[in-house]
Amino acid sequence: MNNRVRVLKDIFWILSFSGLVAALLRMLFGLGATTNLTDGIPWGLWKVFNMIAGVALSTSGFTVGFLVYVLRLDRFKPYLKPAILIAFLGYGCSCLALLFDIGLPYRFWHPIFMWNINSFLFEVFWCVLLYFTVTAIELAPLIFEGLKAQKLVKFFHGIAFVVVIIGISLSSLHHSSLGSLFLVSPQRLYPLWYSPRLPLLFILSAMGGGIMLLVMVRIIWAKFYNPEPVFGPVSRQETTMIHDSRGLVCAVSSRKEPGFEMPDISRLALIGTGILLIYLLLKITDLVALGTWRELLSGQSESWLYGIELTFGLLLPLVLMLNPRTRNKPVPVGVAAGLAAFGMVFNRLNVGIFGYFRDAEVVYFPSLTEWALGLGVIAAAGLVFLGLAEYLPVFDDKPANAYLRKIKIKSTSTSHQVWNVVLADSLHRVSLLAVFVIPISFILMYPPYRGSEAALIKPSLGVDLQRSILEIDGDRRGYTTTFNHADHQRRLGDTGSCARCHHICVPKDKSTPCFRCHQYMHDSTNIFNHEEHKLFVARDEKLNGWHPENYACEKCHSVGTPRTKNSARDCLECHRENMFLVGEPTKEMKLMYASSFCLAMHENCLACHRQEAVKPEYAHLGECSTCHKTLQRKDREKIVTAEVM
Amino acid sequence: MELWIDFARGPLFALTFLIMLLGLARLIIIQIYSIVARKGRRLINAPWKKIFREALSWVIPVRHLIPGTKIFSIVSFSCHIGLILVPLFLANHIVLWEDLFDINLPQLSSSVADYLTLFTIVCLFILFGFRVFSIRLRSMSRKSDYVILIVVLLPFITGYMAVHPKMNPFSWNVVMLLHLLSAALLFILIPFTKLAHIVLFFFDRISAIHWQLRPGAGDQVAESLYGKEAKV
Repeated sequence: MNNRVRVLKDIFWILSFSGLVAALLRMLFGLGATTNLTDGIPWGLWKVFNMIAGVALSTSGFTVGFLVYVLRLDRFKPYLKPAILIAFLGYGCSCLALLFDIGLPYRFWHPIFMWNINSFLFEVFWCVLLYFTVTAIELAPLIFEGLKAQKLVKFFHGIAFVVVIIGISLSSLHHSSLGSLFLVSPQRLYPLWYSPRLPLLFILSAMGGGIMLLVMVRIIWAKFYNPEPVFGPVSRQETTMIHDSRGLVCAVSSRKEPGFEMPDISRLALIGTGILLIYLLLKITDLVALGTWRELLSGQSESWLYGIELTFGLLLPLVLMLNPRTRNKPVPVGVAAGLAAFGMVFNRLNVGIFGYFRDAEVVYFPSLTEWALGLGVIAAAGLVFLGLAEYLPVFDDKPANAYLRKIKIKSTSTSHQVWNVVLADSLHRVSLLAVFVIPISFILMYPPYRGSEAALIKPSLGVDLQRSILEIDGDRRGYTTTFNHADHQRRLGDTGSCARCHHICVPKDKSTPCFRCHQYMHDSTNIFNHEEHKLFVARDEKLNGWHPENYACEKCHSVGTPRTKNSARDCLECHRENMFLVGEPTKEMKLMYASSFCLAMHENCLACHRQEAVKPEYAHLGECSTCHKTLQRKDREKIVTAEVM
Repeated sequence: MELWIDFARGPLFALTFLIMLLGLARLIIIQIYSIVARKGRRLINAPWKKIFREALSWVIPVRHLIPGTKIFSIVSFSCHIGLILVPLFLANHIVLWEDLFDINLPQLSSSVADYLTLFTIVCLFILFGFRVFSIRLRSMSRKSDYVILIVVLLPFITGYMAVHPKMNPFSWNVVMLLHLLSAALLFILIPFTKLAHIVLFFFDRISAIHWQLRPGAGDQVAESLYGKEAKV
């Protein structure tokens, strides 16, 4: 087997296995624990990169279908099969990624029966669903040809024309609707990308980008499997033997003329370039017409992003393609195609994610789980693509297996030899990858091991000398709660009432603030210091030996049982006096863990508030707004500036 | 130090244990696949009853003792009792299984576990001694055989010291961390060394399947050994 193909497959397998683990963890732990999505940026990598950009990249299925079946350009017929395969796999992995992105994945079928005809997403759902079916039908002849079911092949060939027409109309519907999704938030999306003509821009760039991706895949495929039709034949006279520094003999060959298929490829790329040119003109007209071009010069991070998208994703490929010197050579065309596809994906990321940063006031970077699943789905699609194309005649008349040759071992390095020769059997090799990749990606992504990323809870903002009013904003998010300490103290019975809320203190302290133990907003904290307890007990009991703390275990843990927190003595046996515990401790009260700040505050306050809210005169105590009076930060600023003026 | 122990007990344990489980599963799959792929239909006619009876006889291999290495074999076999029972059923480990997989295993009483551990350690030392001093066994041993014996020995020694902190010249934390790290090393080595006989044992012992020869196989062997003219 070709060595380069094997390395590519190894990478794909690694990504797919980590994606598998990510999918599992997302299903077990939910979106909140596994992704970095927030209320500000609720559409992340999976939605924008996998779904919106992924669907847009697989437009080649309908554009090439249009060229061949409607315009009757028979020279593009060889590109129909790979285009349909790309479309099928692209839509497949978009749907798969979306399945993990929606909150309740098992309800994905709801839009089929519960219609919301006012929603763009409803239309997108139906079009994607139908078009996925259409690509499957379009792909069927290829599969049945491989299975040698000639009758079915004939049947599917017969209905191909109708199916392609349906596919074209469905595609032109939903690619524009994907752009319409962003029309609903003109205030939120950064003005550089917002335009009333987003639907048109989306469908044009998707068509151009899709064709360019097909061109790129064709050229890379040729590089990997069968270079001759694209890169040109190797002329015998030009082959020279060179001895390199390691004493190995290398054959250096030169290809002067591009292959016989290159003119067609470059024509296809030119069609894509034409569409992109219209897209570029429309985009610039839009900038001028809406007057948003000023933002481009403002030097904000957004203008840089827009600049990158425009130069590398549009202008550079256009220059490469329109220059007659480069547009017939495989490498520049491949680079141009790759850049154009990248530019289209980058545009979707800009519109879907980066454009919202300024409004949401948060910066979103996908978590490892999101990367793993997002790339893993694509890698799995790549594996299916390579697998199908190796056994079925996708690109040429014969399957690519025919071009694969056995690796000749030249290297003397042992590890290289082991990897290529001993593990040549794909079962041995892939399973060995799985054995290492799955555990490593598991512990890297397992939410409890990711550690508490939340910052420590901080003391209340405003505390005056009498501790009369506390302004509490534990995680400094800008949402404060005002707590009238003096008022509560007075109402609950002055001195001696402290114990009603301060239920436990750090040893030798009399009023430990809440945040000392309840250290995280949504996570519990371990408040028991095992290390120090061992040392203190050994010191207090005056134990001897090489390591006195080795003798301390039995002071707390009962002998002969496993030393866990269950076999330990209650903390209060020693600490009854100096921790000022109130009330009788419950049996679970091992004083190991303090609950999360959020939970602790709610439990502590609400117990009383709920009791009191029963009385008609204190009915308001049961409402959230009694404590959470604070408005959003932004509105606060407005109010403050209004007062100043 | 507590942080290191927590790390070794949490992520590192999960990592190495998963590698071990998946690695062993991989070996089972490859074994089954290769048997099915190579033997195919002939598996149906294999004398399964005989094969299984043969394989079961290896569970208590009294019949298979070879004169000359009898003591070695007996020690090695009895060493396995502790090797299997203590890691699985020690009270401290049962808590671990309960936390991780939510399964309740029966418990070895602590005195039995202590004696078994000491017995296993002694057995392992004897095996090591055999491999060093007996000429016959020394010539059969590779470097990895000595290394693996030491790696298996480490968790038992450190574990015993951790359970009896008073007999322990080092701090409990250090011993515990060593115990966890050596166990992690053992987990990783299991599927990739001869320790894989944890699962491959069953496949080795049904080797009768592998030796079902094709008709005319003898002639082929003879031909490849002695040239074309040779006949069986």
